[in-house]
Amino acid sequence: MAYEIRKAAVLGAGVMGATIAAHLTNAGIECVLLDIIPFEFTEADKAQGLTEKSPAWRNRFAESGLAGVLKAKPAGFFTKKNAAMIRTGNFEDNLGWLADCDWVIEVVIENLKIKQELFARVEKVVKPDCIVTTNTSGIPIRDICAKFGPKLKANFLGTHFFNPPRYMKLLEIIPGAETGPELVTYMTRFCEEVLGKGVVVCKDVPNFIGNRIGIFDMSNAIRLMIDRNLKIDEVDAIIGKALGRPGTGIFGLLDLVGLDTGGHVMSNLYEAAPEDEMREVFVPVEFMAKMVELKWLGNKTNQGFYKRTKGADGKKGKLVLDYRTMEYYPATKPQYESVSAARKKADEGVATTLKVMFNGTDAAADLTREYLCDNFIYAANRIPEICDTIVGIDNAMKWGYNHQLGPFETWDAVGVQAAVEVMKRLKKKVPKKIEEMLKKGSGSFYVTKEDGLYFYDFEKKDYVKLEANPRIILLPELKARNRTIRKNQSATLLDIGDGVACLEFHTKMNAVDDGMIEMILESCAIVEKDFSGMVVGSHAANFSAGANVFKVLIGIQMGDWDILERLIAEFQHANMRMKYLSKPVVAAPAGLSLGGGCEMAMHGAKCQPYGETYIGLVEVGVGVIPAGGGCKELMVRLTEGLPEGVIEAGLSLQHVYAKAFENIAMAKVSTSAVEGMELGYIRKTENISLNRDQQLWDAKQAVLGIAKFYRKPKPAMIPVMGENFRGMAEAILYNMRQGNYASDYDVHVSRKVAYILSGGDCAEGTLASEQEILDLEREAFLSLCGEKKTQDRIMHMLNTGKPLRN
Amino acid sequence: MSDAVIVEAVRSPGGRYRRGGLAATRGDEIGIQVLKGLLARVPQLKPEDVDDVIVGCSFPEAEQGMNLGRIIALGAGLPNTASGMTINRFCSSGLQSIADATAKVRAGWSEVIIAGGCETMSHIPMGGGNFRPGPDWLYDGSMPNVYVSMGVTAENVSANYNVSREDMDKFGMESNRRAYEAIKAGKFKGEIIPITAFKYKVLKNGKRVREKFVFDADDGVRWPTRLEEMAKLKSPFKEGGNVTAANSSQMTDGAAFCLLMTQEKAKAIGLKPLARLAYFAVAGCRPEEMGIGPALAIPKVLKMAGLTTKDIDVYEINEAFASQALYSVRAIGIEDRLAAGDVNPNGGAIALGHPLGCTGAKLTAQLLHELKRRKAKRGIVSMCIGGGMGAAGIYEML
Repeated sequence: MAYEIRKAAVLGAGVMGATIAAHLTNAGIECVLLDIIPFEFTEADKAQGLTEKSPAWRNRFAESGLAGVLKAKPAGFFTKKNAAMIRTGNFEDNLGWLADCDWVIEVVIENLKIKQELFARVEKVVKPDCIVTTNTSGIPIRDICAKFGPKLKANFLGTHFFNPPRYMKLLEIIPGAETGPELVTYMTRFCEEVLGKGVVVCKDVPNFIGNRIGIFDMSNAIRLMIDRNLKIDEVDAIIGKALGRPGTGIFGLLDLVGLDTGGHVMSNLYEAAPEDEMREVFVPVEFMAKMVELKWLGNKTNQGFYKRTKGADGKKGKLVLDYRTMEYYPATKPQYESVSAARKKADEGVATTLKVMFNGTDAAADLTREYLCDNFIYAANRIPEICDTIVGIDNAMKWGYNHQLGPFETWDAVGVQAAVEVMKRLKKKVPKKIEEMLKKGSGSFYVTKEDGLYFYDFEKKDYVKLEANPRIILLPELKARNRTIRKNQSATLLDIGDGVACLEFHTKMNAVDDGMIEMILESCAIVEKDFSGMVVGSHAANFSAGANVFKVLIGIQMGDWDILERLIAEFQHANMRMKYLSKPVVAAPAGLSLGGGCEMAMHGAKCQPYGETYIGLVEVGVGVIPAGGGCKELMVRLTEGLPEGVIEAGLSLQHVYAKAFENIAMAKVSTSAVEGMELGYIRKTENISLNRDQQLWDAKQAVLGIAKFYRKPKPAMIPVMGENFRGMAEAILYNMRQGNYASDYDVHVSRKVAYILSGGDCAEGTLASEQEILDLEREAFLSLCGEKKTQDRIMHMLNTGKPLRN
Repeated sequence: MSDAVIVEAVRSPGGRYRRGGLAATRGDEIGIQVLKGLLARVPQLKPEDVDDVIVGCSFPEAEQGMNLGRIIALGAGLPNTASGMTINRFCSSGLQSIADATAKVRAGWSEVIIAGGCETMSHIPMGGGNFRPGPDWLYDGSMPNVYVSMGVTAENVSANYNVSREDMDKFGMESNRRAYEAIKAGKFKGEIIPITAFKYKVLKNGKRVREKFVFDADDGVRWPTRLEEMAKLKSPFKEGGNVTAANSSQMTDGAAFCLLMTQEKAKAIGLKPLARLAYFAVAGCRPEEMGIGPALAIPKVLKMAGLTTKDIDVYEINEAFASQALYSVRAIGIEDRLAAGDVNPNGGAIALGHPLGCTGAKLTAQLLHELKRRKAKRGIVSMCIGGGMGAAGIYEML
């Protein structure tokens, strides 16, 4: 059967249901969002002029779920406009809408009877090939589908999202005993390629993989804290970044999730996993039970393990709970020798910092050792109970709990043998399969061989090759296979197959420097001769955070204006070279794509952004203006596609240029690729990759898609408003200055932006060449570099990482 | 010289910006209907007797462009012989047109003139569709800034003349209360010409249709309103500023007209004179604090007439912003009259709206009907004007 999901229904509009629906719209899937009708019709409803027949009353839960996700932080939608793709309703009146849905996902309360009753009704209305799933995190899949007919059983499985669904990569797929294998294959692909998730196929066991290991991890940390008489903020200081864990720490995370939810999952696990050798740690400790009783549930009740305060003077403070006295005290920053030592080696990566912590000699290291060893043993003992391979467990913890390394990767980092010795010293029971593995001479869980990555399979008692997804292009692997064409310290050009090259940046934050510019130019020459096209992108968190302002500052301090001018001219040249290359260049921005990064991303023939792309021209923050063709290209983008003759006929572009001006003068940055489109930095016709791992492959397909008939673009002639735009900008800036929204220097810098956007000294309706605008950019950039306040802004940014308003 | 008398003054209801009753109706159409309604009230007048139609408009472009005066005149069914013109002094345009008509009639240059104003803010933005401030104008304070945003001027008045946020909010609330009471009491019914307006609707089958409906009451009043809620609003014009949506005038659509003629003509065709615009003055000030205009124009016109504030029974001082209206009231020493209900007795532009070029004629209609109800003698219509001016006119009932 060929499945295809175009339209979905989400049943249950709580936080999880509504945010799942929002993410589905991010992937372009229309959604129906239903919930129950309110329990009772109140006097207050009546006073509002509602009746029991009003949709506003009947759909209240679904409506408020949608309203909630529109306000959620971080945002659930790529753009609030996506809310129009969600149709809200209720289970009583609108279940019929499910008839043309391709996927129905249930996200109602965790109550077996309620779920079963709802599914019984769903079964009657859905079309025969509709995929039906549950987002349960604690109820066995087999119980939920026990009463289904055979048809629905075959089309049913668990799809367990992690909160918040837009940002958390993990999605656990739990097939039922009778789920069709082709459905599991389809859903895995769909969730990976369309929704951008990292899928781990799980067994129908309590709490599946992520929460089983994750809850143990947290519960055990609490137990160790009490045993060792440590404080809450001490534990969070130790089990943090040095161990490859999120900065929130364990208790910060529990506050975020909510103690009631966390406690519920723990007790659920205690009941559901009677065979678990560590079961006792799931019994909520006394002080946590007390906290739940007091409704100190975490961030949602404004206090949990931590409590944020705001003094009369408006100063924010942070208190932490002393669980022995149940009183809050001001949080300190606990210092540990091992943690400081690890921090100093942060640049060497998490494997190094883990080793430093694991081999330390202080109390933090003592906790680290016992905590990690418990985790290792627990994870190893869960194979094959909850997962057949170490890979599934590692992925689940990385993707669902933001651990930098999964338990087995962590174990590899500290050394398998070394950890086993510590376990013995701590009198822990070393799992038999580990002893066997070591006895066989296999000293690590993962090994890299010539043909790729292998993992240790406990059942086969040998290494097994990790099956590579052909849609995941791994640049380090290609480098290992000698696919490098050219490289310098800033960038590398690689052959990614099928006649396509990839230009990868690798400076710190991928800041633009002369080496990068040099490689763009060299790559263009090579690609023009030997390839069908080029992808510009990398695996780094950020496409490029902008120009290397440190180098700009050095140029300024040396008073070497020629060097600065040459640098800017070269960068402009490199961007124009990409734009007008006879072979297509596809930029693949992701993460921060700011300033120079935004400019590079704008100068491809096409763009294939990752959904989480934060793009914008932010140069005014350091007192300069976009001078790598950013102003110019935004002007091209916002005015391209106008019908012939309309400028000559007098079309006013004032709102178009006001938008460009606002973008640049206010340093607007998108919160998603879609917002990047709304700002005008990415064309609305481009495709967005939701799966970061597959983005380079997607970009490569984009190159191949256009390569055959590709012709470089005709030089753009940009319609400008000339001095009339300057006048407009002056009037706007005056008002902003008066309202104190801009400083004198902001006005000064913005005037330069306005002059560039106006096209210089010319009349409204003039058609300016790209080079004319580039010249204006360069001139403005250099003149601002000569100003003290711009230099102060650059210095401040280098020192603090934040813009200075002077 | 013959005196110019006003025999009738009418207005459309004020329709809220973009969501109100007139939002889908063209500005010229609103003007045409008000003019037709006016003519219908004076069957004694032969259409061919109308010599000229003067229409005030602040942004005379797009649908209220070309020559709106002529378009409204012919659109309302006046014969080709009736001329038409459009004049602009921003927010005083509607009063200026009545002043100009009065002067023309008094001079003997015209016998019958219809004068007023018309503005559709839902369709024509402040600043107009093609805002083109001078690029070489100096914005550093060395030249008066004629392009300054109105909100900024209101913040300036609040800051420079110590008008507090609390007083402004209270003023705004009182405006709404008075307007609500006036509408409830049916006070505006006599002056309002109901408009057959349009609205666009999407039918269940997805088809869009244009529907007619009768729009007959001001729809901008916000009542009940709470000071605590008002206090939460933020100024869009200044960081930590005092001027908010709740203490500023609303953007509004509307039209209003007066019928003026020589005293003799009125007598000849049997029409009873209602009032006359006895005196009119404009006064200039700094554009950056244009809101103080009434504080300059009112004393100027009183001096011209040889009167004092005590001689005036009712004031209609346009509430462009609470900051400037309240300051003006205080500056000319009539705060007690405000409290007594002699200033803006039926609410002002904060509740009923400020359709720029129409406002002067709209306030004239409100004032004359209020004076008539009170059987009172004299009233003043005054307003501030963008670019730094004030206008004031003294009406005398006949």
